[in-house]
Amino acid sequence: MSQVYNWQLGRQMSYPYDGKYPERQFAFVFNINRCIACQSCTMACKSTWTFSKGQEHMWWANVETKPYGGYPHAWDVKILDLLHQADPDGRRWRGASAENPQAPYGQFPGKTIFEAAEKFLEPPSARVLGYLPADEEWNSPNIYEDNPVGPKGVRNQFHLTGEQLPVHNTWFFYLARICNHCTYPACLAACPRQAIYKRPEDGIVLIDQSECRGYRKCVEACPYKKSMYRGNTRVSEKCIGCYPRVEGSDPETGGEPMETRCMCACIGQIRMQSLVKLNPDGTWAEDRQHPLYYLVHVAKVALPLYPQFGTSPNGFYIPPRWVPREYLRQMFGPGVDQAIERYSNPDRELLAVLQLFRRSNRIIFRYEIEEGPLAYEGLYRGKQVRIYNDTAIAFGENGRELFRTTVEEPLHVRPAKHQNSI
Amino acid sequence: MPYDDPDPGDPMLLVGVTLPAEEDSAEEMAYVFAEEFARLGFSEQRLLSLFQEPFYAGAHQALELLGENRIRGIVQEAVGMWGHFPYRVNEPVARPSWDVPVGALAFPGSTKAHNPDGDEV
Repeated sequence: MSQVYNWQLGRQMSYPYDGKYPERQFAFVFNINRCIACQSCTMACKSTWTFSKGQEHMWWANVETKPYGGYPHAWDVKILDLLHQADPDGRRWRGASAENPQAPYGQFPGKTIFEAAEKFLEPPSARVLGYLPADEEWNSPNIYEDNPVGPKGVRNQFHLTGEQLPVHNTWFFYLARICNHCTYPACLAACPRQAIYKRPEDGIVLIDQSECRGYRKCVEACPYKKSMYRGNTRVSEKCIGCYPRVEGSDPETGGEPMETRCMCACIGQIRMQSLVKLNPDGTWAEDRQHPLYYLVHVAKVALPLYPQFGTSPNGFYIPPRWVPREYLRQMFGPGVDQAIERYSNPDRELLAVLQLFRRSNRIIFRYEIEEGPLAYEGLYRGKQVRIYNDTAIAFGENGRELFRTTVEEPLHVRPAKHQNSI
Repeated sequence: MPYDDPDPGDPMLLVGVTLPAEEDSAEEMAYVFAEEFARLGFSEQRLLSLFQEPFYAGAHQALELLGENRIRGIVQEAVGMWGHFPYRVNEPVARPSWDVPVGALAFPGSTKAHNPDGDEV
C-alpha cells in the first residue's frame, strides 16, 4: 500500500493507490441544527436519478433519524463495531485541536478501514474492511424512525394527537447524507476492475458503468454505504454529484456552476455546496474568503462525518447542539465541543456567512462582508450579545456577484392582489 | 409499516433502547427550535403553537419535559433577539404589455378571452 496524507486524521496513512488529487474538490456543509427531515432532498434526488426499474431501493440522498435510524440499517454501528474488533485499543484521538490546517483535529492513531484490512483481512488481496448489507437492510430506509404512523388496520389516517408513548428525556436528530466524494474513496480502492474513478476537475467519484461487472466490492467497502447494487442491470451505481449541474451545463444558469438537486431542494436551508481548491498533498489550499474554507478551517464549525474511517470525506456537518457530546465526538471527531460553542455564540463574520445558505442555486466561490449597523444589543441566555445587520455578498466562479443578503433578512410579504397566486 | 402483532422471531423487530439525554438537552433543543424559527420570522404565538403541536415531536417533547411556562420564556427570549424583521411588501413588477391582442387568446367558439391577470374581457 502507498502512504498518503490524511489531514482529517493528522497523519500519513496506508491507501492502496498513490495520492492523486483533483484541481478542485466537490465539498459541502450541512447544518444539522436546521434539518427537519422533510425529505425534499431525498425526493429531489430520487426523481432526478433513481426513478427507474431496478432502482426502487436506491436512495443516493437520504435523511435518517439518529441514533436509531440508518440506511442501510445500522450502517455506522456495524462498521464502527468491525473497526473496534480489528483495533480495540486504537479508537482514541490524541492531541488537541490546532490552528494547523494539516491536523486541525489533533491526531487519530487508530487503524482506518484500509489499515485494518491490511492487518486483519484474508486473503491479502482484500483492501478495505467492510461488510455487504443484506437486502432487507436496504429495502425500508426509514423503518421505525421518527415517522408518523396511523392506527392499526386503518389506511391513510394518522393518530389524531400523535402521542403514543410516554415522554422520555431522550434525544434524536436528523442526519442528511449523500456520497461524500471522499479524497481517498473506499469504493475506488476496493474495485477489482478499476471501474471507479475520481474526476480530475472536481473530485466527483463515479462508477464507469461499462467497466463495472457488479462484484459489489464497492458496496462492501464504502463505510457510508453510498454505493448500491442494481439487480436488473447487474452493475453498481452511486451518487454522481449532479455533475452536469456542477459543470454548469444546465441551461438555466448559462454556463455558471449550479449546486446539486438535493442542495437546491432544501427548504430548511441546511445545505451549501461548492468546489474547494486543493494543495498538491490533498489538503485544502488556503482560500480565506471561500465560504466552505471559512466554515471548515477558520470558524471550524463544520466537521467531517466519521473521519476515523480514513476516507477523508468531503461532507462536513455543523453538529446538533442538544445531543450528548460523547455521541457527537464519535461521529464527528474531537472538534465537536469547539464547533458547538462557536455556532451557539457566533461572531460577526460567522453570523453573516450563515446567511449565505440557500439564497441561490448557483455555487458560491467567494464571499465578502459589508459591515452594517448595530441591530440588537442585550442579554441572551445570560450573555451579552450584539448583532450587526451586516450584508453578506456571494460571488460565482467568474467573480460576478450572485446575490447579497443581510443578517436581518427582510420578510417579503405578497401584496393583497397576489396573496393566493402561485 | 407492519400492522400485525409483533413477531418475537422477527429480526427486524424494533427493540427499545434507553438513550438518556444530558441534563440540559431538552432546554438546548428548545432554544435551537426557537432560535431557528424566530429567525425565519415566526411570531411568539406561532412559535408557541409549534411547541404545542404533538406532531412536531422534538419541540413537543421539550414542552412536555420543561413545561409551558419555561417554553414561553425561551420563545420570548428568542423572539426578543431575532424578531426585529423589517417587513417588505413587494409591489407587482410592471410588465410590458402583451404583444398580441387579448381577443386573439379566446378559445375557438368562445366569446370570452382568457386573460392571465384574471380579469374577464
